[in-house]
Amino acid sequence: MRLRLLLTAAACTLAPCVIRAAEGPAASEPIEKVIDQLVDAAIADAGVTSAGRADDATLIRRLTLDLVGRIPTTGEVDAYVKSTDADKRAKLVDRLIASPGFVRHQAALFEVMLNPDGNGRGGALREYLTAALKENKPWDKMFTEMLLPDEGNAKLKGAADFLRGRLSDADKLTSDVSVAFFGVNVSCAQCHNHPHVKDWTQDHFYGMKAFLSRTFDNGGFLGERGYGVIKYKPTRGPERTAKMMFLTGATVEDANAKDPAPEEMKKEKEALEKAKAAKTPPPAPKFSARAKLVEVALKGENAEFFSRSIVNRMWHRFLGTGLVSPLDQMHAENAPSHPELLAWLARDTATNGYNLKRLVRGIVMSTAYSRSSRYESENRPGAKLFAVAKLKPMTPLQLSTSLKIAATDPASFNGLKPEEFEKRMEQIESSARGFAGLIAQPTDNFQIGVGEALLFSNGDRVLREVLTDGGGTALGRVKALTDPKEAAGFLIRTAYGRTATETETEALVAYVEKRKGREADAYKQILWALVTAPEFRFSY
Amino acid sequence: MARKTFCGSLAHAMDRRAFLGGAAAAGATLAADMTALNALAAPDVNKSLKKAQKRVILLWLAGGASQLETWDPKPGAPTGGPFRSIQTDVPGLRISELMPKMATRMKTTCVIRGLNTKNGDHGSAAETIMRGRRDEAALRYPDLGAVVAREMGLPDSKVPDYVTFYTQTEGRGMAPGNAGFLGARYAPMELTTNNYPEHIKRLDGITDRDHIERGQLRDLLGKQFAQGRSSETMNSQTEAYQRVRGIMASEKLFDVSQEPQKVRDRYGPTQFAEQVLIARRLVEAGVPFVRVGRAWWDSHGQNFETHQEMVPELDHVMATLIDDLFERGMLDDVMVLTLSEFGRTPAINASLGRDHFASAWSSTITGCGIKRGSVYGKTDPKGNTVTAEEVDAGSLFATIYSALGLDPNKNYYVGSRPIPLVNPGVEPIKALVG
Repeated sequence: MRLRLLLTAAACTLAPCVIRAAEGPAASEPIEKVIDQLVDAAIADAGVTSAGRADDATLIRRLTLDLVGRIPTTGEVDAYVKSTDADKRAKLVDRLIASPGFVRHQAALFEVMLNPDGNGRGGALREYLTAALKENKPWDKMFTEMLLPDEGNAKLKGAADFLRGRLSDADKLTSDVSVAFFGVNVSCAQCHNHPHVKDWTQDHFYGMKAFLSRTFDNGGFLGERGYGVIKYKPTRGPERTAKMMFLTGATVEDANAKDPAPEEMKKEKEALEKAKAAKTPPPAPKFSARAKLVEVALKGENAEFFSRSIVNRMWHRFLGTGLVSPLDQMHAENAPSHPELLAWLARDTATNGYNLKRLVRGIVMSTAYSRSSRYESENRPGAKLFAVAKLKPMTPLQLSTSLKIAATDPASFNGLKPEEFEKRMEQIESSARGFAGLIAQPTDNFQIGVGEALLFSNGDRVLREVLTDGGGTALGRVKALTDPKEAAGFLIRTAYGRTATETETEALVAYVEKRKGREADAYKQILWALVTAPEFRFSY
Repeated sequence: MARKTFCGSLAHAMDRRAFLGGAAAAGATLAADMTALNALAAPDVNKSLKKAQKRVILLWLAGGASQLETWDPKPGAPTGGPFRSIQTDVPGLRISELMPKMATRMKTTCVIRGLNTKNGDHGSAAETIMRGRRDEAALRYPDLGAVVAREMGLPDSKVPDYVTFYTQTEGRGMAPGNAGFLGARYAPMELTTNNYPEHIKRLDGITDRDHIERGQLRDLLGKQFAQGRSSETMNSQTEAYQRVRGIMASEKLFDVSQEPQKVRDRYGPTQFAEQVLIARRLVEAGVPFVRVGRAWWDSHGQNFETHQEMVPELDHVMATLIDDLFERGMLDDVMVLTLSEFGRTPAINASLGRDHFASAWSSTITGCGIKRGSVYGKTDPKGNTVTAEEVDAGSLFATIYSALGLDPNKNYYVGSRPIPLVNPGVEPIKALVG
């Protein structure tokens, strides 16, 4: 097997790959088709067999979790599974993307992406992101609004939070801007040229810092000076003045690098004080370094960092592994797993106005996205081939919201009009936020700690919020069922959205029968076992 | 010296990963015919067993204890304050008169007087002193407790890997335990309201038998789901649930009333003393890292009254802990650290207080592989600067790791990126690790 792999790899370095690259998918092809063409080619080159398609129940669970941040109700699953419409997947995806849940869930994910330290900072950024995603604002526009916030506009003010939270530390601001928007971590180059990555030198770090270091807080509004230089001591040689330089090496000339005359300084100070007193944004400088950064970062070939980074992040969000991994290590020495695909998607996204919904739709409509996470034979292919779906741990809010849905009597969702249903989901999500705060945010290589297992095992909130059997709950409904087999099947369906296997039914029925006379307790414990098992904890 | 372990099982005291590594090096014969006895006879395995026994108790003096009223007194200097210094059992070493008990036990301990950690801000200094370095933009480093938990903890341990007592409010938000990139698996069990961990007790609504059997049901469901699937994160979840019953059984370790009254009297009646006694119980049972946070050291006003009250408590509790560990034969395997965010200014302010000061302060290390009865670093006569043997947070951490038997250059991997335990080029203090 291994020998064959090597041989195919060797063959690939010769003719076939070159031919394929030359042909390349056309710009007009649908995104999902290009994804599948290029992912399948790599799978074929590696000589492996990919996993089959996930079944309908699994696919609707995955899509609902990924797009709107919760498990589907049994009603949603049934409708999807039973439908014979050849177009049902596209219709489901379009419905989910158009729903308010999509905006809420993606806004929460973008917030974590932009503030990975978990500093909520009062929710202004989330409000901005929610409004922006609601109108499907292009990603380059959002980037521009976050870096050049219009604080005079109440609707856009929240965008200033990205910069505001980082003003006290220009080094951190520099690194965070590079990581969040360009997928590049230059912080290693702060003290010395990067030891392993030739791409990143101290000039890059201080070049980026020179764009950002003139920003400051002026009485609760962002101000920017029109002058000021960054000096740094390289590991060798005399002190240097940093040129404003983007990651590609493109530099911006700054005619006003020198400090202005004392009189002008005085004028500027007065203007700043006046703005402070009036509680308005201070006047923008004639030459804004930050505006130059936005301009240069979105211009021509420079924009490849920006477009590749967002594509990589969205791919990671839905497939669980980046085309470049880790997400902040996009550089020459860390090649993408699918260079041609990354380049095509980045180009397609940029030329289509950074339309995020379009990109998301393309990714989740691909066959690559819809594969099963099960791989029965040995020699499981590596994650970077995307030949098998990856298990993704739920985010705190996904888990917490899904627990509430699993604990609800599915009949209570029946007959709701679409807008009533959406309203209900929003209520469930907002009541789930408290519990979500007790769960850790997943990262790459996420490890679940014993704290979570103890919380679920002995926490009274789980008992109060999930394992209750009052009216309108799943457990309340089970109380009315006299046949343990029926009850077991019902609980499996509410928690997992699928029919029970024989082994499961037997085990659950045996569990209940051992507890004759106290079935209500038994069903609570069964629901506990169902929602703490990995089939609930993960998107699979 | 005989050493009591919690459950008495030998396997319990071994680092399984190191153990297997050692066994592989010792050859296939040993691996094929492994009993506890011949495992002990193999030198490599013996070494990893020794490593696995290392534990740490960190006495975290939150707010910043004054080096001048503890380990580096300057009596007579204009900055010296009212307290005298006293001779210790180490020739030439004098400490504050507020610490008479430690003065007769300095032979067990190493004082580091030349700390220059540069950062005088509570929050970020606490992070630096807990992690040995500052975070990068996109990389949160694990703190000392999380690293020790990861290195010394056992995958199937029945006790927590990392416990933090932080019941006093001051500074708690400044120095939460954090596993950084190692992830929630190594995050501390934080005790912030009382001496009992959260969620360690079974709720009244479920019988013990049902608690166990629903766990078995969960395992069955999990096994079925795991067929044909593979995920490190899923494995960590399985592992976490497997440890629940063991951790629940360790509840009595947190119950200080299980200690003989004589021992409790010896430590004393304060909350700090009780928590340190619990820390001793925990490390004895195999918990790799326990931090006991004692707050209210941030003496911007009335520094001398504050220290007159706090230092004798520290002196008594620390001396008792060291005696207790020594008597139990554990001082070679348990390290006791005193650390703060920083020390306090030699200059005395208008409120008779001392302010934040990170450029010349002190800490101590007792036990494990650290050179006992030693002093490292000198400060000038007023205590303003380090004049010899300066130490930063990085080399302090490299020294701690080395004394615990860990290679400071050992790499963790974040994705494909290697991250050593300390920053590249940082060295342990050779004079202290012998």
